[in-house]
Amino acid sequence: MIESLELLAGGVVNAAAPALLFATFIGVLIGLMVGVLPGLGPAAGVAIMLPVAISFGGTAAIAALAGIYFGAMFGGAVTSILLGIPGDAPSVMTVIDGNAMAKKGEAGRALGMNVFASFVGGSIGIIFLALLSVPIASAALAFGPTEMTALMCFALSLVSVLGGRNMVKAFVSLFIGMWIGMIGLDPIGGPVRYTQGSIHFFDGIDFTIVAVGLFGFSAMFISLSSELRGSLQKHSFLSLMPNIADIVKCKVILVMGSIVGFFIGVIPGVGATASTMLSYGLAKKTSRNPDEFGQGAIGGVAAPEAANNASSYASMIPLFTLGIPGSATTAVLLGGLLMIGLQPGPLLFVNEPEFVWTVFGTFWTGNIMLVILTLLLTPFLASIVFVSRALLYPVVIGIVIFGVYSINYSTIDVGTALVAGIIGYLMLKLGYTPVPLILGLVLGPLLERGVRRTLISSQGDPSVFIERPISIVLLFLTIVVICMPLVKRGVRIVFTRLQASKRRLQ
Amino acid sequence: MISIKTNTIMAATTVTFAFAMSVSTAIADEKFVPDSTPTIIVPFGAGGGSDILARTIANVIDQLELLPTNIQVENHPGGSGARGYNYIAEQRGDPYTIGTVSVSFFTTPLLGSSPVDYRDFTPIAAIAMSPYIVAVPEGSDINDIADLKSRERLTTGTPGVVSDASLLSQLMQEQSGATIDAVPFDGVGEVLSAMLGGHIDFMFGNPGEIEPQLEAGTLRALAVSTDERLPSFPEVPTLEESGYDIEHVQLRGIVMPMEISDHAVSYWEDIFRQVAESDAWEEEYLNRFGDVPRFVGSEEFSGILEETNDLYARMMNELDIEQ
Repeated sequence: MIESLELLAGGVVNAAAPALLFATFIGVLIGLMVGVLPGLGPAAGVAIMLPVAISFGGTAAIAALAGIYFGAMFGGAVTSILLGIPGDAPSVMTVIDGNAMAKKGEAGRALGMNVFASFVGGSIGIIFLALLSVPIASAALAFGPTEMTALMCFALSLVSVLGGRNMVKAFVSLFIGMWIGMIGLDPIGGPVRYTQGSIHFFDGIDFTIVAVGLFGFSAMFISLSSELRGSLQKHSFLSLMPNIADIVKCKVILVMGSIVGFFIGVIPGVGATASTMLSYGLAKKTSRNPDEFGQGAIGGVAAPEAANNASSYASMIPLFTLGIPGSATTAVLLGGLLMIGLQPGPLLFVNEPEFVWTVFGTFWTGNIMLVILTLLLTPFLASIVFVSRALLYPVVIGIVIFGVYSINYSTIDVGTALVAGIIGYLMLKLGYTPVPLILGLVLGPLLERGVRRTLISSQGDPSVFIERPISIVLLFLTIVVICMPLVKRGVRIVFTRLQASKRRLQ
Repeated sequence: MISIKTNTIMAATTVTFAFAMSVSTAIADEKFVPDSTPTIIVPFGAGGGSDILARTIANVIDQLELLPTNIQVENHPGGSGARGYNYIAEQRGDPYTIGTVSVSFFTTPLLGSSPVDYRDFTPIAAIAMSPYIVAVPEGSDINDIADLKSRERLTTGTPGVVSDASLLSQLMQEQSGATIDAVPFDGVGEVLSAMLGGHIDFMFGNPGEIEPQLEAGTLRALAVSTDERLPSFPEVPTLEESGYDIEHVQLRGIVMPMEISDHAVSYWEDIFRQVAESDAWEEEYLNRFGDVPRFVGSEEFSGILEETNDLYARMMNELDIEQ
């Protein structure tokens, strides 16, 4: 344990060499921009910069690429908070409370919490990475299709928490999301589903594009249809500043979010976005004032941002200890490792310890750089609230369209985002919340894959779900989450009846 | 043969087409010399296997200064390769558009989701060969391929429902009589996790994917899918030695649009021959990804494209995937 921390310290010292600092800085700076630009996410950012970064050579190349990844995690929340448009997939959950806070005139506080949460999540992520890499990598492998199914059931059960007041509408929204997730090539059976013969939907509909439309465009359509034109909201200068006391206020949520993010992130194939959903759901579930969530609760920013940062560091573990890319972004990083002439695999740690620990060191220096950069930028970014919407929205719409287009250089994608925006507008007008739709779109495909893969290996026998320990625990927790409100209500009814009968007796 | 007009050649099958080309170029007097920048189109996103292949080729061509011009790489991702391949095919007659062949080059059209298929391209060459290795986890009680054959029921993982791994597992199932349940995952990373976590019994993988695990002793190789044993794994038998009639490898192939001149075909064939035979290629691609050196010219490659397509067509028919 102590030895690992010493190695990490050595790595940080190596990472402080000017060339590496510079490469890391370039990486985090580009990452921030990629994150801020709606639509472009970490995977696309790292992939686009791959050829350039490789020219830095060796450790600097990987430091820059990893920096882009972490920078995007920091930057994604900026547009989520200020404009209600997710900058990338893992910051979708941040829209809910972050944007509500900005509307209340607390943009600086929300942005500040993004920085603190990202820093705490990142720090916990790096320390766990240094201490637990090898044991946790083997433990993560225990997560097969069966466990994945159970985990997804648990995550989806949190819809009952996130769905708002009307359960029926929440589930309608959820199922629409799951249906959208089915469009494209059937991942298990083979044939295409619901593509209407178009090759554009063959690979399915990119979740980020839907999220940008559903949250971003719909919010703009709503404000266009209401009488907001030209009006300036009242904002004090203080509202632009981060509030350091919030760290203490959210300490439990920050730590819980980081731990959830870390352990979900290390499992290959689940991803940072799913971890933010779990983290947010748990934060709301365990909160003393769950009704504040969704109305601009600071904890609603802390939970997903701590989780997605911790998750991004955790996703490095399978890559560096086993040579397995667990996500789209780490798959590109694996390509990067190969291109600089390294052989990622179980022996990388043994054969190239200096390289691995130096790269881990740059994770730390990158994290510090991001905190300083984003804290300095916060007041300037937050001052966007002073800009009239009549001026702001045309520019934002232009940037969003550019961001969506640049994912695949496809105008069809832009059209899809606009359609998602119209759907989001209709949903808001009819009183449906779009959050369960997003949950269904992200978690539904993972659930489908989990169930169908498990049943292929078990030859159609569903009893495996209650034969494996991790799966049993997760399914039990799912039942608890679903039944809790019912039990609570039941107890309350019984209790009031008892009191009533007592009164009658008296 | 030489007197046949170009149009007639176009109408003939790809095999005769390419054959006629190479014959007619033999007596050609004027030569094709590139005067604008050729582009390698990658029908997938940056950072993936096809992208790395294209960028390495471009690097090697640059380093060896094989062209009088630069060469560039462009990504056209979308539709499981359909968008990019469609784009290449649309550049009819353009001797500056180059594409690389992947599994999706065959399977996406077979799924009925692409307006173009392998017949809409001019085969140029194949410049490397990637074999498949059958592997089990270190602690598996399957000791050799005979053990594997004796099992009645096995589970394997594939990187996608239509992939070389599912083709191979289907062929093995047909020939051994065992039932092999193939679980489709998303990419080879997930297959490796499932393998190391003990959720599947065995897997197929390229040397580039499997070699680090073999070196670390986390996986054991049982057989290779080539016709001869691999120099890097002399002790691992081929599937044919083990009693299977299976030989299937992935060729790193190069195609161009239709209707490009005979001179251009032989020019590019020659460029890619020089790439395939260079030290830079060996160092930057073959050694790095565990590929086997192999050069296949336009004519032979054209026949291979057709055979490979038939193989995938049959697999998808067996998997009951509608076309």
